[in-house]
Amino acid sequence: MAAADSPSAALRRDLCSRGIRLAGKMRADVVDLLDAYVEQQGLDPSASVAAMDGVPLAAVERWDEQTGTQRLLENLAAYRAFRALLAQMLEEQREQLGEADAGLGRALAAVLLQVSAFAYHLEELLRLESRGIPGEEEEEEEDGPPPLPRLSLFEQKLRGLGVLRELAQWALRSVRDLRQLAKPSPAPGTAPGLADSP
Amino acid sequence: MFSQWSWVACGFCLVLNICSPDASSGLVQSCGHIIPESPVLALGSNFTALCILNESCLDFGNIYASQIIWKIKNRLVPKEQYREINRTVSSVTFNDTSSLATPLTCNILADGQMEQNIYGITVTVGLAPEKPKNLSCIVHQVSRFTYVMNCTWDPGRHTFLDTQFKLRYSWPEEVFPDCIPKDVNNSCSIADIQFFVNTEIWVEATNALGKAESDHLVVDPIDIVKPLSPQNVSVTSGILPTVLQLTWQNWISYAVMTLKFNIRYRIVGETDWMEVPSEDTASQRTSFSVQGLRPYTKYAFSIRCMKEDGQGYWSDWSEEKIGTTIEDQPSKGPPIWRIIDTSHSPAFWTVHLIWKALKPFEANGVILQYEVTVRDKSSLSCPVKKYNVTSTNHTLQLPEGTYEVTLIARNSVGPSPASVLLIPASNSKAPVKNLRTLPKHDKLWVGWTAPNSYVLKYVIEWCLVSSSSDCIIEWQIAQGDVQGVNLKGIKPFKCYLITVYPLYADGQGSGQSVKAYLKQDRPSKGPTVQTKKVGKAEAVLTWNHLTVEEQNGFIRNYTILYKTIDGNETVVTVDPSKTEYTLSSLTSDTLYTVRMMASTDNGSSTGPDFTFTTQKFGKGEIEAIVVPVCLAFLLIVLLGVLFCFNKRDLIKKHIWPIVPDPSKSNIAQWSPQVPAKHNFNSKDQMYSEGSFTDVSVVEIEADNKKSFSEQDLKPFDLLKKEKSTSEGHSSGIGGSSCMSSPRQSVSDSDEGETTQNTSSTVQYSTVVLNGYRDQTPLQVFSRSESTQPLLDSEERSEDHSGGADSTAQRQQYFRQNGQDETSTDRPCFERTKQITHADEGDLVGFVQLQISGQSSQPLGLGMEKNTQEAALSSVLQTCTEGQTVRPGTVEENPLSVDEMPKSYLPQTVRQGGYMPQ
Repeated sequence: MAAADSPSAALRRDLCSRGIRLAGKMRADVVDLLDAYVEQQGLDPSASVAAMDGVPLAAVERWDEQTGTQRLLENLAAYRAFRALLAQMLEEQREQLGEADAGLGRALAAVLLQVSAFAYHLEELLRLESRGIPGEEEEEEEDGPPPLPRLSLFEQKLRGLGVLRELAQWALRSVRDLRQLAKPSPAPGTAPGLADSP
Repeated sequence: MFSQWSWVACGFCLVLNICSPDASSGLVQSCGHIIPESPVLALGSNFTALCILNESCLDFGNIYASQIIWKIKNRLVPKEQYREINRTVSSVTFNDTSSLATPLTCNILADGQMEQNIYGITVTVGLAPEKPKNLSCIVHQVSRFTYVMNCTWDPGRHTFLDTQFKLRYSWPEEVFPDCIPKDVNNSCSIADIQFFVNTEIWVEATNALGKAESDHLVVDPIDIVKPLSPQNVSVTSGILPTVLQLTWQNWISYAVMTLKFNIRYRIVGETDWMEVPSEDTASQRTSFSVQGLRPYTKYAFSIRCMKEDGQGYWSDWSEEKIGTTIEDQPSKGPPIWRIIDTSHSPAFWTVHLIWKALKPFEANGVILQYEVTVRDKSSLSCPVKKYNVTSTNHTLQLPEGTYEVTLIARNSVGPSPASVLLIPASNSKAPVKNLRTLPKHDKLWVGWTAPNSYVLKYVIEWCLVSSSSDCIIEWQIAQGDVQGVNLKGIKPFKCYLITVYPLYADGQGSGQSVKAYLKQDRPSKGPTVQTKKVGKAEAVLTWNHLTVEEQNGFIRNYTILYKTIDGNETVVTVDPSKTEYTLSSLTSDTLYTVRMMASTDNGSSTGPDFTFTTQKFGKGEIEAIVVPVCLAFLLIVLLGVLFCFNKRDLIKKHIWPIVPDPSKSNIAQWSPQVPAKHNFNSKDQMYSEGSFTDVSVVEIEADNKKSFSEQDLKPFDLLKKEKSTSEGHSSGIGGSSCMSSPRQSVSDSDEGETTQNTSSTVQYSTVVLNGYRDQTPLQVFSRSESTQPLLDSEERSEDHSGGADSTAQRQQYFRQNGQDETSTDRPCFERTKQITHADEGDLVGFVQLQISGQSSQPLGLGMEKNTQEAALSSVLQTCTEGQTVRPGTVEENPLSVDEMPKSYLPQTVRQGGYMPQ
């Protein structure tokens, strides 16, 4: 309990709390954005999109067995990937529509900002766990996402749809991950702590 | 070739530079410059400028730094501020830049006189920006997904310089574009704000003198949100009459923030809001049921929201939505009262039942009807009567007695509790005591002291007192535990009659009344005063009371103000109950102006002026003067009469001397010519004894002449002398004839008629002349001997002139005998003249005799006659002629003259003969 009352613990709780709400808002915004995107791009809302390269999947096996650090690292990697994907989508959007549909562009930019903000939250949490933050360049140099292939316009639209759907899933997962992290830490040695995580 | 041209050009340029030291490197080269060039200086700091002369100008123009003068605009800078650094550099120092102005110029005095400008700079003075303070931000929700963060700050003092403000914000790993304010320097708005990340916000202010930065504000924008107010608010009535349900929509997603709410409501038409307890609405929701409302009442609702944890700002109130609760049965019975009219018959009442419509919160719906039940309590056998009424009054005809009236109001839900009014046969119970009123703002408070018995309720009646219309009664009921109520709707300046009745369980107390004003004013007019009665020193004033509409308050007193035109005003205060007053101690026969003033507690008004004049004499004063005077006069008259009566003999002797009756004269007996005696008889008929009471016979001796003053006799002497010249002879009869008709001989010629009348006058006297100076008179005339023909002449004269003339003649006759009768002067005087005609020497004594009986006035007249000598002469001539023919004849009656000689014969009386007495 003493640890819970420390400034770092309070900061951690605050970061988790706001991360949860940010993820929740991000999910809500992404859901709204999805509707607008499907409508604007003329896509079938029920169309299924196969997994695409470069888009991190939210689904994971043995989710409840993950350590806190592992959760944070997976989240951080995913949102960094989404940041790049959304930035590319925003660029493609501008190329396609110019300023014709500023609303969609602003919504994409807002989601992009939220993804960035959430990534910042994750980095802060990792710092609190005294864990090194993997560098983006380093990561990209070693096993970073391969450069996006040149796609047709329709394929760009479908990929955009897939990115947003997966982001929505990730937002949901992130809320759950952070809630898991926000739970009071069990007594050392009795529960898998962040220190135990690989 | 080219090089030659370039040398020429260079040489030309050199000449220009030398000749024109101001020429720049281009066309004009300056002879110097100032360092620094166009500086921006902090206000209040010190400043030093250097003016550096070009070397080229030194040799050519013989100008050195010592000749430099500095100027600000056109004002010379004191030389104490100069410093010559070397022969080409001069500096000027300002300890305070606030004394600086633009331009600052460096000038030189060529040859000590000519001032030439070398260079000038623009100096800008200002302040460095202050640190912006009080930075605060608020995130306004613009739409469902749009939020705009608006930050404001205090920019600090004015810098007098162009100062840039920037609102900067950043995430730890992300720096956002700066927000540059437009047109203002103290606020900026940032769109696309992102929540849930701590954002660092600060303001930078920059100008030429520096840069300042505000404190950094680190805030998650979600904590400074002012959300939009809930939308689509609707109000629906529920099953219960005291509940309304509100539903709404929130603009902001619960994913962004959860909200708490405030709900307020008010009855439509009222201004005071009520609020739902905040703890009931402290969580996210989209509906709420408001309870504890009044049935069948229209409510307006409004709602607002903010972040649930209380961070941020309340939204604006939503627009009002109206909802109405459903009906409920009336909560109480209507207040009921009665007015009993016994004017037709004391034993048979006309009872006006009146009740008040229930207030909306009591009626709880629309009252459909009232049910009135009347029960005669004095007679158990009488059936209960029921009436259904839709109005708020009902009139019954009831015999005198005790009744119980029950009233129920009914709406669509059900009936109200019953209101019961007991109408006793008489109000025999104790009344309230100490009834009083007190104005309280726009209400009139009526208070009383409760009777000793327990009172169920009080009924307060009041009505506006009017002189022109009946008192329209208003009323209200107060509970038995109160001892005062506020009456609403009372108009100021109006008189109200307030009556309070206590209602007991078994009867009713008699009413106590009081008159009251909510607010008093001065009367709208003053009384019109007039006089009822005006005397010499007092006046009774009357006036009418002002009507109650004119009073505007309680009349405390009347004031009478009266004054004379030039006098001071006198003021009298009169009791307001009076309508009459007597002003006393007034000045008689004086115009008074009076006016009257009526006063209330709040002022006075004066009526019109009225003027009156006091009388000159008091009542009975004239009578007091006139009656004694009259009485005194009467008394004097009476005394005079008595005196005269007592002295009647003496008076008679003087006024009516006894005239002897010639017919009874003894002369007739001894006269030789007696036959004419019968004529005397006829004369007796004409002049009876009673007519001539006395005749004085005066015997005058000629010697008595001396008894008259010489002065009195002068006129006669003069006349005598004049006439004697023309009348040398005189016969005795002729003289007598002239004497008997004096007018004919003496009066004015224009009085011929009078002469004719008087010519017949008879002298019933006998004149006996003594001898002049002891001489024996030749003859004595005795007129009585010749009366008969003269009487004939008188009869004829009477025939001509009528009875009136006859009376005048008689009077004339009598006057000849009166000593004091002045109106007979003329005939006597005329007769005197006749005598002078006769014989001056013989008749002197006679003249004296005639004068002795006259006053002095005829003498004056005689003087006049002397001036008319000519006329007199003619008359006298006529008179003389008459003597020669017949004495006593009248010219106009020649027939008489013819008859006369037969009987009218002068007779000679011997001396010492009979003189009739």
